[in-house]
Amino acid sequence: MRDVLSRLLPRRAREEWFEPSCCDAQIANRRWLATRTFLIFLQCWGLELRERALNLLPSQQSFVKPTESPKERIPMFWHDLRHAFRLLLREPGFTLAAVLTLALGVGGNVAVFAVVEAVLLRPLPYVDADSLVILRHRDRSTAVTKEFIAIGDYVDLAKRQAAFESIAAYGSPQVTIYGMDEPFRVRALSATADLLDLLRVRPQLGRLLTREDTRPGAAPVVVLSDQLWKSRFAGDPKVVGRGVKIGARDVQVIGVVPPGFHFPPTMQTDVIIPQAMPLEAPAGRKNGWTYSVARLKPGVGLKEGVANLAAISKRLEEEFPRSNQSTEYYALPLRDALVGDTKAALVLILGAVGVVLLIACANVANLLLARSLGRHREMAVRVALGAGQKRLVAQLLAESLALALCAGTAGVLIAIWGTRALVTLVPKSVDVPGLAEVHVNAWVLGFALLVTLATALVFGMLSALAVRKQDGSGVLVAAGRSSAGGGARRAASALVVGEVALAIVLLIGAGLILRSFSRLLAVDPGFTTDRVLTMEVAVPFERYRAPEAAKVFWQRAFEAVRAIPDVQEIGAAVVVPLTGNHWTASIDRPENPTPAGERPPEVGWQMSTGGFFKVLQIPLLSGRYFDDRDRPGSKTVVIVSEGLQKRYFDGQSAVGREILIGQTRAEIVGVVGNIRRADLSEAPRADLYFPFEINPSPQIRLFLRTAGDPAKVAPAVQSAIRGVEPSALFPETITMAEVARASLQIQNLALWLLGLFAATALALAAVGIYGVMSYTVRQRTREIGTRIALGATDRDIVWMVLGQGARLAVVGAVIGLTTGLLAARALGSLLFGVKPSDPLTLASATVVLIATIMIACYLPARRAARIDPARTLAEQ
Amino acid sequence: MRRKELPALTHLQFLVLGVLRANEQPGRVIREAIATYGVRRSGPAFYQMMARLERDGLVEGWYEQITLSGQAVKERRYRIKPAGARLWSATQSFYESVSGAAARPRWSNA
Repeated sequence: MRDVLSRLLPRRAREEWFEPSCCDAQIANRRWLATRTFLIFLQCWGLELRERALNLLPSQQSFVKPTESPKERIPMFWHDLRHAFRLLLREPGFTLAAVLTLALGVGGNVAVFAVVEAVLLRPLPYVDADSLVILRHRDRSTAVTKEFIAIGDYVDLAKRQAAFESIAAYGSPQVTIYGMDEPFRVRALSATADLLDLLRVRPQLGRLLTREDTRPGAAPVVVLSDQLWKSRFAGDPKVVGRGVKIGARDVQVIGVVPPGFHFPPTMQTDVIIPQAMPLEAPAGRKNGWTYSVARLKPGVGLKEGVANLAAISKRLEEEFPRSNQSTEYYALPLRDALVGDTKAALVLILGAVGVVLLIACANVANLLLARSLGRHREMAVRVALGAGQKRLVAQLLAESLALALCAGTAGVLIAIWGTRALVTLVPKSVDVPGLAEVHVNAWVLGFALLVTLATALVFGMLSALAVRKQDGSGVLVAAGRSSAGGGARRAASALVVGEVALAIVLLIGAGLILRSFSRLLAVDPGFTTDRVLTMEVAVPFERYRAPEAAKVFWQRAFEAVRAIPDVQEIGAAVVVPLTGNHWTASIDRPENPTPAGERPPEVGWQMSTGGFFKVLQIPLLSGRYFDDRDRPGSKTVVIVSEGLQKRYFDGQSAVGREILIGQTRAEIVGVVGNIRRADLSEAPRADLYFPFEINPSPQIRLFLRTAGDPAKVAPAVQSAIRGVEPSALFPETITMAEVARASLQIQNLALWLLGLFAATALALAAVGIYGVMSYTVRQRTREIGTRIALGATDRDIVWMVLGQGARLAVVGAVIGLTTGLLAARALGSLLFGVKPSDPLTLASATVVLIATIMIACYLPARRAARIDPARTLAEQ
Repeated sequence: MRRKELPALTHLQFLVLGVLRANEQPGRVIREAIATYGVRRSGPAFYQMMARLERDGLVEGWYEQITLSGQAVKERRYRIKPAGARLWSATQSFYESVSGAAARPRWSNA
């Protein structure tokens, strides 16, 4: 970030002010170094602009000017501001155009910043949250990153690490509480004893979890959230010691946490239950998995923490090659872990909307330039009456401030509406902290004020440039003519070139996202999502703990659901495809085992019924689906994907062959087609399916293929299952089409917003170039009249004007294409199947832009061709 | 009689050069030293002032690489130049002469 900001500063500011200030901040080890760097960057620009403004003021005035004491400055400023507002009221057309253009830019920026503030900048609700990190692991051989760590490795990491205060394990299961009227589902935080200590949580009542509570075989206990304590236990101060039934177990309430506590930050926490953890690493190091969080020791940086984990990972690889080969653990700041992909999308959108503001600024600057040229006489009179350039600049600054204040106010109103619209656009599945609390608060208003003042300063400086070289006598004479200096025309042209360049950058971005999105939509996931409903079903654990009982129940439930006329197929599984699931299991071939000291290959796994394949129409390539032959106690069988057959059986039929999964020997009974399991952008991997029929559990996902709208079937399915088990719960019901859409929502959001910004940018650039060309044509009226009188045809004049516009467009397009190519790299993580330098996108963006600009130039060109030479020459 | 002139240094410049008279110092230390006199400047504003002193030939600045938590950081350091030392001494003499003059009895009827 520092390097990028540094490049955005002029050389002097960069070398003399920015670099040493950043170093000092780094040495002082300030928190929020990124924010600090940004502040230093802003301060440097402030100083730079101030120096430039001072340089604009001539050291000697050609006219005697009244001196102004510091005491007079403030009333004079108010006078200027009042005058500026009166001027704006006098020219409602100009004011409306300028304020609306700017308000759109400011509003868009403030709305996006409101989301950025809530998601990326607002402190997390934990003490010293900056030193909290999430532990993850990556498999170097497959490049797959997982959010959880193996229990065996967790135990060793916690013992061997030296960089962290402590490491804690946690999970977020849903549990059912019984024995209080109706059973109800709550979100639990299962935690080791260190977790609450590490998060610096103190009990509101009773005590928190201790190491004794998390030892295997300890008496079951629970800590309640403040909200649950108040809503379900009526805030009973004697709740500590009471018993409740969670799932199949009677547990004792031992305490209540303070109001507002929840972990992980994106989830609600209703109860906290102990997560049992072995004291020594088990032999099957990867038989269980857990999420893990840690707190860095004071004075220890993230890099040192990561290095410590890498060193331990290496040692574990050497000690346990069969389980840990190419497994690497690393730490990620808590916020980064939570925000994930959304950060890139948000920063991208903030950048895009910033570009729109710049284009809006360029447009308004053009309007102001045109207006300031029309005010030459007024300025000349002021100078002649003794106004110094300082006075003129002060007045122009007050005018831009008035304009920016109006635009800022309108922008905030747009932002209040835009923020709501933006939050609605963000997919519900995006689990990002702070998204629920996005609003225009003091920070956001501060940002709006900053943007407003910055735009006022930019316009003020531009207007000051326009009056810089005026001196009294010269301007009075020149003001008699309507023409203006080449400087102003060049400035207007430069602004248009800038607008075109910026617009093309946005067009390239939107084009790339559009192409990537269409590629993603065209991807075949390997299964059908149309007319498929998926429903999570949970039944009381203690009643269906035995596999036989569960099997009988599910058989009856499936029969009841099949009886519904609209249901064509029914199946069940534990993992919903396209939800980012990366569960893997090690496999080995008995006839060709992995050599000692090497890690057996890992494949993705799923547990499903035979019906699951039929519902999703995953083709059976050979063998059979799971059926009634597979029942609790029967021989373990598995179905493998085509990818697994190809990779581990050299493409020969795997049906009838055996594989080892841990210590279990399983027979392959079928081979099915590949599917994209985690998400659409990920190539299909080798997958393995266990039969749900052999090990049915009390909580599963149902998959139903329906004749009509799947969503309409849901109530009938729920009542059919409740007919078999009245206390069945249905935590989530969603169609597969919705799941598929949700998996593309970030790209969809980026597409919508970038598309919107690109269209706005294009429209603004077109308006900008139209304004400049109209102004140029007005200025060249006499010249064009003379040309027509000398024999130029309509077509010559139209081509002449179009050519001038085309030159600006081409210069802008070349600059924009170069910048766009560099900027497109930032899109890398959001693109699928398209390179950032995709020639088709670059060409289309250029064609669209140049065509739009030519249309915008055509109107002034037609007007130029209709100039009456007799009238213009007579006027001359 | 020699004409008396007001010092060319501002109080702040006098303070900064005073800090540098004894030893060369990093910018950060100078900023902290002047802060003890209640003069608080943002990093960029402080370094802008130092850059002006450099341009006027009163101090000399350079970057020096130091290692911070295993990371190389380039710190800006300054030393006073002879012209700066002369100007500081002249300013100090001026203040001393003023205080001496204030201490002498006045020959006036007022």
